[in-house]
Amino acid sequence: MAAASNAIELKGVSLSFGSNQILTGIDMRVEPGEFICVIGASGSGKTTLLRMIAGLLTPTSGQVLLHGKPVRSPTRRVAVVFQDYGRALLPWRRAYANVSLPLEAGGMPAAQRPARIRELLAKVGLANHEDKFPGQLSGGMQQRLQIARALAQEPDTLLMDEPFGALDAMTRQTLQDEVLRLVSERKTTVFFVTHDIEEALYLGDRVVALDSNPGRVAYDIKVPLPRPRDQLTTREHPEFLRLRREMFEIMNKIHA
Amino acid sequence: MTAALAKSWRGWLFPVAVLAAAELWFAFNPILSDTLAPPSKIARDGIAMLFDGSLLKATGQTLVSAAAGLLIGMVSGTAAGFAIGLIRTAERTAAWVVELLRPIPSVALIPLALLTFGYGYRMEYSVVSWATFWPFLILTHNALRQIDVRLIEVSRLMGFGPLKRIWKIMLPAAAPRLFTALRLSVGLALVVAVTVEIAANPQGLGLGLMRSQEELQPGRMLAYLIWLGVLGWAINYFLLLFETRLFAHRTPHGGSTTP
Amino acid sequence: MIRSRTLDILLGIAGILILLGLWQLVTSYELISRAFLPGPAATFRSLERGIVEGALLPQTWATIERMLQGWLLASVVAIAIGSLIGVSSTARAYLQPTLEFLRPLPASAIIPVAIAVVGLSWKMVLFVVVFGSVWPTLLATVHGFAHVEPRLVEVSRLLQMSRLAFIFKIGLPNAVPDILAGMRLSLTVALILAVVGELLTGELGLGTAVLHASRQYRADDLYAGIILLGVIGLVSNYGLALADKRILAWKS
Repeated sequence: MAAASNAIELKGVSLSFGSNQILTGIDMRVEPGEFICVIGASGSGKTTLLRMIAGLLTPTSGQVLLHGKPVRSPTRRVAVVFQDYGRALLPWRRAYANVSLPLEAGGMPAAQRPARIRELLAKVGLANHEDKFPGQLSGGMQQRLQIARALAQEPDTLLMDEPFGALDAMTRQTLQDEVLRLVSERKTTVFFVTHDIEEALYLGDRVVALDSNPGRVAYDIKVPLPRPRDQLTTREHPEFLRLRREMFEIMNKIHA
Repeated sequence: MTAALAKSWRGWLFPVAVLAAAELWFAFNPILSDTLAPPSKIARDGIAMLFDGSLLKATGQTLVSAAAGLLIGMVSGTAAGFAIGLIRTAERTAAWVVELLRPIPSVALIPLALLTFGYGYRMEYSVVSWATFWPFLILTHNALRQIDVRLIEVSRLMGFGPLKRIWKIMLPAAAPRLFTALRLSVGLALVVAVTVEIAANPQGLGLGLMRSQEELQPGRMLAYLIWLGVLGWAINYFLLLFETRLFAHRTPHGGSTTP
Repeated sequence: MIRSRTLDILLGIAGILILLGLWQLVTSYELISRAFLPGPAATFRSLERGIVEGALLPQTWATIERMLQGWLLASVVAIAIGSLIGVSSTARAYLQPTLEFLRPLPASAIIPVAIAVVGLSWKMVLFVVVFGSVWPTLLATVHGFAHVEPRLVEVSRLLQMSRLAFIFKIGLPNAVPDILAGMRLSLTVALILAVVGELLTGELGLGTAVLHASRQYRADDLYAGIILLGVIGLVSNYGLALADKRILAWKS
């Protein structure tokens, strides 16, 4: 298989801070359009892994490749959605102007921006809130806004770092479905970090489990559940229940 | 450790470079200046002032005025702060009066103090006490308002009377913020005292500065200026040190250790 | 809710009436000599003369003009230099200790130096006002730039924003609350130094007017001048608080 056919490729990636080994010998391939979920306990280095793919961190050894090219610094083709939306949004910019930021950074002419921004806000259901500051939006709406901002980059890879970890169960389910819908429209590759096994199975084409201290790949399974997925039928699907049980046992063994 | 050392080294580079440049400039332009002096001359004059006692005498005068004013401002400001912090009606009655009186710049009172007390300590510390009264009032008020409501409820449940409640619960809970008020006001007291001396009152470091200028002694003038900087910095540094020692065991939100 | 609001206003007025009453009482019984403390009536008559008949207007405008001129100039200088120091961690490492050393220095202490260099004139006063009111805004600007949410720095890296784009789109807006707080402090300092400068130089202004009143034992005029200076402080504070509220609408 040619290297260029992988959206993300990790080759023997290790990272240590001083004598503290965070990640060791990570090998991973993600195909274009694939939705991969990475689970692991806190401290397993899953967020660190995401930050290396984003180009915010450089591995101590090994290589991170995006579409066959080594990552040296962040690129606008990769977008990140952080868990802490309250910090990742610009609090002094209204919803509209927050979505505008990547367009400004990408050099889109000012005249073309309004239509694009309104289209994105409508896509995430914030059409009526463009004049609100992030502080005036609920947690779920702020996270929608961050997703709209990420989509404004028109990324071919979307990195999501426990994006729904701080939200209540109902909002979380709604946003899971919206993310699935949005990324299937554009065949975006998604690298989704979570600590919730059910969320990983519900969203992913594949689930990778990380073992901790130091972080390494413990398990890598395909999720052969049909798409489009549905909060009721998918979660009651016999295969979902079987995989969920299997994953629980794996995670218990890892942390025993 | 090495990082801290490197950092402090870089912090010294700029002032040292400025001093060296000034020294060099005067070395190549050896006209005797009436307005400014090379660092070496400032150092010589400063040391001479230190040994003939004039620097210490002036420092003493300034510090006595600042301390006396601070004491009056602290006692009256804290008392008033407690009154409006504890009694809701007092708070509302005082609100507009405070809004009206607080913006009066302390230096506007210099001519009044001069008229009332003439030259000397009294006029100086009266202006200082006015200036420091306000931060004590405001910060005491804030400190009391920010006490955790649960703490007051607990004290009610324990059956403490109002006086005991103030002494055992509110005062200890407000203590860290009250100390911050003190630290900020000490700096303010020094600033205002020197300002009064520069503007009117013929004593202390302010007078030293003005007289050196009038006598065309730039070396002494700048030595006074640098000494003033060292003094202000040192007082603040030690108060900060004291503050962290005193309240290190405290989390910002209560966690009172009183049994 | 409304009743509590009404009560606030009534009590606020009551507080001022109590203050005036006490003042009247002290002067009626001459607890303090009238030479030092005139009654409220005499003071307000003097204030009326000063404002309505215009005797104090030129002085008031001169002080306001001096304060605003110095403050605006200082703000521009402080924000420009503060941004430059604030965005660069290297610049901060070299310059911040010096700034911290200068921070507690009384701004008025520069007056003798300014007299030596510039001479005893209006230029000296303006110089001192600018020099003194630069510091609060400068230090606040540096602080604002130095304390950007690390997540936003990452966002700027992910979007490959240029250094200039970072300054204007993230650094500066992030520092705005600090800058405004610094500018408020600077305005207070500017008023104080304008008055001190007037006391020393005798340039036209309320400081000089108050000093003359004091020397000629005109206590009512003295108090009228002090009240006017208080009003300048009050109005400028209030104006800036309003500006704060509008500019920082996103914070509420």
